[in-house]
Amino acid sequence: MFSAEIVGAWIAVFLTLAIFSYLYRDNPFYKVAEHIFVGVSAGYWASMFFWTQIQPNLFGRLWPALHEGQSLGILGKVWYGIYNFFNLIYPPAFPDGGVATGHGMQLIYLIPLILGIMMLLSVFSKFSWFARWGIAYVVGMAAGLRSYGFLNSNVIGQVKGSIIPLVGDVSTGAIINGIILLIGTITGLMYFYFSKEHKGWFGKIGRIGIYFLMISFGASFGFAVMGRISLLIGRFTDLKTFGGADYHHASLWLLVAMVVLLGIWSFFNKEEKLTKGNTPK
Amino acid sequence: MKKLADLVIKLGNVDRRWIFVIIAIVVMYPLFKPLGLPIRPTESSLQVYNAIDALPEGSKILLSCEYGPSTKPEIHPMTVGVLRHLFENGHKVYVTCLWPDGQFMAREALEQVAENEYDRTYGEDYVLLGFRPGNEAVIKGIVSDIRKMYTIDSRGIPIDKIPMMEEVKNIYDLDFIFCASAGYPGTVEWVQLAADPTGIPMSTGVTSIQVNEVMPYVDAGQIRGILAGMPGAAEYEALIGKAGIATSGMDAQSIAHIVIVLFIIFGNIAFYLERQRSKKTF
Repeated sequence: MFSAEIVGAWIAVFLTLAIFSYLYRDNPFYKVAEHIFVGVSAGYWASMFFWTQIQPNLFGRLWPALHEGQSLGILGKVWYGIYNFFNLIYPPAFPDGGVATGHGMQLIYLIPLILGIMMLLSVFSKFSWFARWGIAYVVGMAAGLRSYGFLNSNVIGQVKGSIIPLVGDVSTGAIINGIILLIGTITGLMYFYFSKEHKGWFGKIGRIGIYFLMISFGASFGFAVMGRISLLIGRFTDLKTFGGADYHHASLWLLVAMVVLLGIWSFFNKEEKLTKGNTPK
Repeated sequence: MKKLADLVIKLGNVDRRWIFVIIAIVVMYPLFKPLGLPIRPTESSLQVYNAIDALPEGSKILLSCEYGPSTKPEIHPMTVGVLRHLFENGHKVYVTCLWPDGQFMAREALEQVAENEYDRTYGEDYVLLGFRPGNEAVIKGIVSDIRKMYTIDSRGIPIDKIPMMEEVKNIYDLDFIFCASAGYPGTVEWVQLAADPTGIPMSTGVTSIQVNEVMPYVDAGQIRGILAGMPGAAEYEALIGKAGIATSGMDAQSIAHIVIVLFIIFGNIAFYLERQRSKKTF
């Protein structure tokens, strides 16, 4: 009668309504949902990263699965001896004979392992300085990777994109668009030029730039509203689905139960409501 | 006139929870009673459709899923719509994910479209390579040597044993990139590290909130069109002629927008009247 799917639907409905209940005011349902969300997210990410990255890509390269009949030297035996110790502690992550993910042994991966351990040492105040090495590596690598991409796509690509021909086989609409784009780009950039005081003709140009920026912020706000409404539609669609007979009217029952319980809770917490005024901002 | 102004000011100061209730009602009503409002494809959605439609049969397409359950209502219909279009035209689809949740979203979409609707064969017509952490580093890996990032697929099958992977060494062996993105890492990173440096054509579908960030790449010709949020997904469904969940949500979207615009106008009038009155008082 109650399959995993139905139980899942009831949990989903409860959590959705619990989050929505914050629109009324901060309450125990919302707090429960909030804490579950934070806990589950942290656990999910930690588990996902371990099983998709650390186990296959790090351990899989440090202790790859041994082929049948493969012989090991003394160092190899010591190395796999360490692995066998981990195997005794937690076999699912360290299966017998090595991690079979198709990698060969690459001991260079000891460096990220050491850097990772150094980052974890940040929890101990005495050794927290070790973490800087790992962070420095990550920051340096990310900066190197992104700098080329930004220069190529966001600087050169965008400059090229803003150069629009005004003559030849171009429609009137495209010419007008091109001129607006040119004015918007130049005035917008001028607004962010702070080495000259924004007065006189320079101030006027900067002011035009502000109008372009305001239009851009308005568009961003509009899109943000559209996005939030889309998400609301998604939740309501699910609530509608789970309100059907297939799910034993989960949405309806839980909504009624939560409204009644919130009403009772509100009745006994009137004072808190008046003093704190904890309605959503 | 004074009474009307009083009423407007009073309504302008109404408890915000009434606004939440009104929004909830106007969003819910069309879900129960669809209005069937028309959907007209915009130029940017049309660009995506044309770019994919122009690919010769049997092209190799990289579909990257960078979204999760929180942005599913906006992005998932795009993934489903694009997959339908790709399988309809007989292309091979390689699915990667830079977000851990993306793998589950991709699996759900592939199960629905590839297995149930088009009866495609895994490993021959499509493959779910799955999630790899590393953000930009994963894209760089796919660009240089896909086997450095993926030795096995999401099902644990070694890459070298997957028939459709035989001719694919890196991104240069693929014909088109479609990125279904809800943030970082996503469309911007694919443009910067894959599409722009290699010249492989790319289209994208993004959340509404990202549109302003990604649109300059479309205008500059670095991306071929963009599906913008749920309306973009609904437009794509209209273009391929297969209405889906985005189409059914568009009535609610349109009505909610009208109500929000009315609220903004009304709120501004109330604010203006209140300010005028306070000026007179002093």
